[in-house]
Amino acid sequence: MKLAYYPGCSLKGTSFEYEVSLLKILEALNIEIKEIPDWNCCGASAAHSINHNLSIALPARNLAIAEGEGYESVLAPCAACSNRLKTAHHELKSDDILKKKITDSIEMPYNADMEINNMLEFLIKIVGKDKIKSMVKKPLAGLKVASYYGCLLVRPPKVMQFDDPENPVSMDELVGLTGAEAVDYSYKTECCGAINSLSKPDVVMALTGNVLYDIKKHGADLVVVACPLCHSNLDVRQREIERKYSEKIGLPVLFITELLGLSFGIDPKDLAIEGHMVAADRVLKKIGELPK
Amino acid sequence: MKTVINEQNRRNFVSQVEAMLHDKLSKCYQCGKCSAGCPVNFEMDYTPNQIIKMTELGMEDKVLNSKTIWLCVSCNTCSTRCPKGFEVTGIMDVLREIAEKKGITSKVEKEVQMFHEVFLDNVKSNGRIFELELVGKYKFKTRHLFRDMFLAPKMLEKGKLKMHGEKISDLNQIAKIFKDFE
Repeated sequence: MKLAYYPGCSLKGTSFEYEVSLLKILEALNIEIKEIPDWNCCGASAAHSINHNLSIALPARNLAIAEGEGYESVLAPCAACSNRLKTAHHELKSDDILKKKITDSIEMPYNADMEINNMLEFLIKIVGKDKIKSMVKKPLAGLKVASYYGCLLVRPPKVMQFDDPENPVSMDELVGLTGAEAVDYSYKTECCGAINSLSKPDVVMALTGNVLYDIKKHGADLVVVACPLCHSNLDVRQREIERKYSEKIGLPVLFITELLGLSFGIDPKDLAIEGHMVAADRVLKKIGELPK
Repeated sequence: MKTVINEQNRRNFVSQVEAMLHDKLSKCYQCGKCSAGCPVNFEMDYTPNQIIKMTELGMEDKVLNSKTIWLCVSCNTCSTRCPKGFEVTGIMDVLREIAEKKGITSKVEKEVQMFHEVFLDNVKSNGRIFELELVGKYKFKTRHLFRDMFLAPKMLEKGKLKMHGEKISDLNQIAKIFKDFE
């Protein structure tokens, strides 16, 4: 099956570590993906917040291009992008009037036969757990990892159709494959504040703080995520949250692709781990990638 | 509190919302599950279940000018847990869109609204988001020039802030999409 890749804007900017690491592990796994030619922004939260038609038309253009190029499956690693692509696909499949309006605007047909996968789905469904397990050359034994899912990977369940919306486990399973210990905690699917990071920073820091302090309380060494926006809030805003609540957190936030890459024995530099605001040195020392 | 202003206006507003939402307001039996689990309820002026009831009662001005519709981050916790399967998250999108189309500028949460507008402008002009330009324009519009600026040096050092954005080649098509739907 030909696999299309929809990077989305964040992976080309603030979350470049996500793209670097995912391309690296897919290379190691010998899986080929191709970027959708001339892809455009999916409109993210802004489009659906104030203009429903735009929120369908923008992702639809990407899906239609991919379909026209003969792809049947799209990987959208950003949780927000995968959410918007899946939502557009779902609505176009179930609403013929909307479909006519949208395809007229983008001037391309769309048969709505595309399969859209988020990063976790792609790793589990397309790559497969056995193959991932066979690639683990350097088990991350002794490392305690909290998987943070946030909202968009699992909700709304009727459209995302992925894992359990209240207690997802897919990322914990991937963590388990690396030999690390998956830490259970309460805030797995609580919202980090998402798009309001710039417009309501105090609210975002309160919500993200709840998540980080709960993870800390449960003894994790680090957090893994599969969403650039979650990563931004948990990583970039962490120092500020520590100052605001006068309590140290010190939790490195890695993308799941980086954790897998480490367990495959890939050099942390090739996974862009040094691109994070919260240094992962303590974690790298623990797994012997840096001298103690 | 004055509730029903005019029965005809009430009906018009309810029909408009229900048509855009593809759902019935009367499904909601006010259990409050949506509001209990809402992560931003502490900042809202009306809880999500109040917004649903107020919409049904035709309190158009109050809901369209509420903080709630702009504070909602569309996390979908409410819709996921609603025992009636009502589109709680969806109604927030619909109310924001109606407010936007009516040209209502939120007095209480104008920064959230501005962020969405600046974001879409950025998509319109580049086809993709150029983060630095987006943040710059947003800061200029809101006059919060220095908020979060302390993050910039380290983000630059880490390579997180790209100095150049990417434009897509078929910008005409993006322009057409915006022209059709704006």
